[in-house]
Amino acid sequence: MEKVIIIRYCELYLKGKNRGYFERLFAVNIERSLKGIRHELRRKSGRYLIEGFEEDDVDRILSKLCKVFGIHTLSVAYKVSSDFDNIYAAARLVAPLCGTFKVETHRADKSFPMNSMQLSAAIGGRLLDDVKSLSVDVHSPEHVVNIDVREDGTSLVFGSFIKGAGGMPVGSAGKGLLLISGGIDSPVAGHMIAKRGMSLDCVHFHSYPYTNMQAKEKVIDLAKILSEYACGMNLHVIKVTHIQEEIHKKCNGEYMVTLLRRFMMRIAEKIAESCGAQCIITGESLGQVASQTIEGMTSSNAVIERLPVLRPLCGFDKNEIIERSKDIGTYDISILPYEDCCTVFLPKHPVTRPKMEDVLSEEAKLDVQALVAEALSTLEIIKF
Amino acid sequence: MIYLDNAATTRPDRGCLEEAQQFIYQNYYNPSALYAEGYNLHIMLKQARANILSLIADDNYEVIFTSCGTEADNHALFCGGRRGNVVTTMGEHAAVFSAAAELKQLGIEVRLAPLRSDGGVDEDELIRLVDDKTSLVSVIHVNNETGAVNDVNAIAKRVKAKNPRTLFHSDGVQAFGKIPFKLSENIDLYSTSSHKIGGMKGTGALFKRKKLVLKPFIFGGGQENGMRSGTENVFGIKMFELAALKHYGKLRENFCNAKELSYKLWSLLDKQLFVRISPENGSPYILTVGAKGVRGETILHEADDRGLIIGTGSACSSNNKKRYSRVILACGVGEEVADGILRLSLGSETCESDVVQAAAILNSVVKNRREMMS
Repeated sequence: MEKVIIIRYCELYLKGKNRGYFERLFAVNIERSLKGIRHELRRKSGRYLIEGFEEDDVDRILSKLCKVFGIHTLSVAYKVSSDFDNIYAAARLVAPLCGTFKVETHRADKSFPMNSMQLSAAIGGRLLDDVKSLSVDVHSPEHVVNIDVREDGTSLVFGSFIKGAGGMPVGSAGKGLLLISGGIDSPVAGHMIAKRGMSLDCVHFHSYPYTNMQAKEKVIDLAKILSEYACGMNLHVIKVTHIQEEIHKKCNGEYMVTLLRRFMMRIAEKIAESCGAQCIITGESLGQVASQTIEGMTSSNAVIERLPVLRPLCGFDKNEIIERSKDIGTYDISILPYEDCCTVFLPKHPVTRPKMEDVLSEEAKLDVQALVAEALSTLEIIKF
Repeated sequence: MIYLDNAATTRPDRGCLEEAQQFIYQNYYNPSALYAEGYNLHIMLKQARANILSLIADDNYEVIFTSCGTEADNHALFCGGRRGNVVTTMGEHAAVFSAAAELKQLGIEVRLAPLRSDGGVDEDELIRLVDDKTSLVSVIHVNNETGAVNDVNAIAKRVKAKNPRTLFHSDGVQAFGKIPFKLSENIDLYSTSSHKIGGMKGTGALFKRKKLVLKPFIFGGGQENGMRSGTENVFGIKMFELAALKHYGKLRENFCNAKELSYKLWSLLDKQLFVRISPENGSPYILTVGAKGVRGETILHEADDRGLIIGTGSACSSNNKKRYSRVILACGVGEEVADGILRLSLGSETCESDVVQAAAILNSVVKNRREMMS
C-alpha cells in the first residue's frame, strides 16, 4: 500500500486559456521546493499527486509544500488498487480509533461494481463491526474517511485536509522589490504580496559602523525565510551611513527620517529598474510611527518617478501584523534587539507631518544625486 | 592586526600547543580505561592536577576540571548556595549573576552588595548583608569589565569571622595566571578558565577546599572523584596545565610589563576624548575607558576596520538586550559615558608598538566620530 500526497490548488480553475501557463509555474514551484527530496510529481485532473517518496520524508515534504503559494489543501493518502478489500484495508488505517465518523466516496470510475453510496455504506458498516469504539454521524462527524475511486483502476483513501498557503503561484504576477528593515512588518508585507503570485527581491539599508554585523545577519535570516515562500530571491544590501551623516551635519535633525526615507525610495527605484522589479513594496502601516503618516508617505512617494509603491499593511493593526509574522515564522528573528539604520541619529521629536516645501528646502542642502550614486556603489547582493 | 581583547580570550600558546597536540591524535584514549594507554593518561591528568593546584594553593585544596569558567561558577552557586540566603555583588560576571538570579527563582534569597566608584565591592556593606542564614558569599576577584581587584582573601576572612559556616566562592577567571595571589584557607571555592591565559576554550577548573562537602553539578560516570562526570578533556587539560605553568613562570615579569603598557596606553589616549573607568590600582591587564558622546560599538567597528580589535564591556554581555552595562552603571558612571565604554585588555603577547598604534587609532576614530555626531 503506497502513500501519496494529494495537492489541490486554489484559484487556478478560474483561469481560462492561460490556465496552462499558471499550472506549469505551479508545478515548477512545487518541484523547486522539494529539491533534494526523492519524489515524483504527477498531474491528474484537477489536482497533483506526489508519489515515490520515502515514508520518512512525509513530514518534510508537507512542511515544504505548506510554503508553496497556490496550494489550497493537501492530504496524505493511501493508494490501492480499486478492489473492495484493498480499499477497506486502507480505510482501516485512515479511520480513527474512537469517536464519530462517516465515509465519503467519490467515484470517477463508473465501472466499479458499487456506486458511491453503496461503497460508503459497505466500508462504514465494516468499520463499525471491526472497531467497536466508533460510531457513525453523517451530519457532523469528528472524522471523515474519504475514498476516491479513480478511472485508472486505483483508489485514494485519506482522512484529513491540511490547509495550504493559498494564493497564486509565485512568478505569475510579475516581480516586486521589498524594502526590508529587520523589523516585524516588512517580511509580512513581502509575504502578502508573494502570496498573490509576485516574485520578490529585497533591499536592505544599513549604517555600519553605527549598526553591527548582527543586524545585517538578522535581515539575511529573515530574507532566507521569505525566500522559501517566494521561490528564491536576491537581497540587495546598501550602506547609507554617509547619507545619514550628511543629513545630520547639514539639515534640521527633525527631518532625518523623512529625508532618509526619500533617499531609500530613490535608491530602491534604481535597484528595481536594474533587477527588473515592476513595483516597490514597503511594510508601512498607516500611523504606526512618525514617518508612516499620510504626509510622510506623500513625501517619500514624491521621489518615485515611475513605479507604483505597494503598502499591503497600510490598514493593519500592529497586533494583526504580529500574528501574521508568527504564522510565517519571522517573528522570533524580527524581535532580536539589533538596531536597524533608522534608529541611529534618531531625533527626539521627529516631524510627523512634514510639509513638502520644508522637506524640499532641507533636502536642497544636500547633493542628492551624488549621495544616491555613492550609496549605490556600496551594493552587495546575496542570493537565496 | 592588533589584538586588545585578551580579557575575552587569548590566542592559544604555540609552544604549549605543539607539546599538547599528541593528546589529540596519538594519545586519544579514555583516561578511565583499564589498559596501559588509558591508565597512562590517568597518571598524566593526576600530574596536571597537582601542577595547576600548586600554582595558587596548598595541599588543602583540590582541582575539579570543568568545561569552562561559567560551569565552575554555576557549580559553586547551585551546589554551595542551597539554603537560606546568598550574598554576592553588583560587579559579578553574568556566570555568577545570572546563576544567582536563577537561585532566586528557586526560592533562595539573593542579596547584592553595591560597588564603590572604583569598581571594587563595598566590603562593609557586603559584610553587613551576611548573617547566620547566609549559605554562600560569592565575590569576583578581578572584575572583567573594569579590572577592579577585590581583596578576596581579606573579604573571605571577614565573612568567616561573621559566620564560619558560610561558604566563600570567588570567580578568579580574570585573575588566574595574571596577578600574584595565593588562596588562603578562608576561600572554599575558586573558579578559573584556561583560554584567558593561552589555553583552549572548553576547559576550566574549580578549586575546592578538600574538606568541604559539595554536591556534584553534573552526574554520570564519576570522573573527577565524582565531582564532575564526563570523559576528561585530556588535550584541553594538558593545554591548561602547560599554559598555566608558563604564565606563572613569568608572572611578575608579565605583570610589570602589563603595568607599563597599560600606563603607556592611558597616557597616549587623548584626555579630551576619553575618561578612565578602570581604577589606577586595578589589574594592569584591563584598561576600561569611556568615550563621551560616541557609542562604544561604533568605535569598535571602526577600529576593527582599521586593524584594531577591542571590546565593549564583556563579550558575553554584548548581545544583551540592555544597552548599558550593569557593572559600569553600578560604579556610578553616567549613561552618556556608559554608552561609549571600551575595554582594552592586554595579554602576555601585547607589545609596546601595539599600544602606541592602538592609542593613535582610537584617538583618531573617536575624534572623527565626535565631530560627525556633534
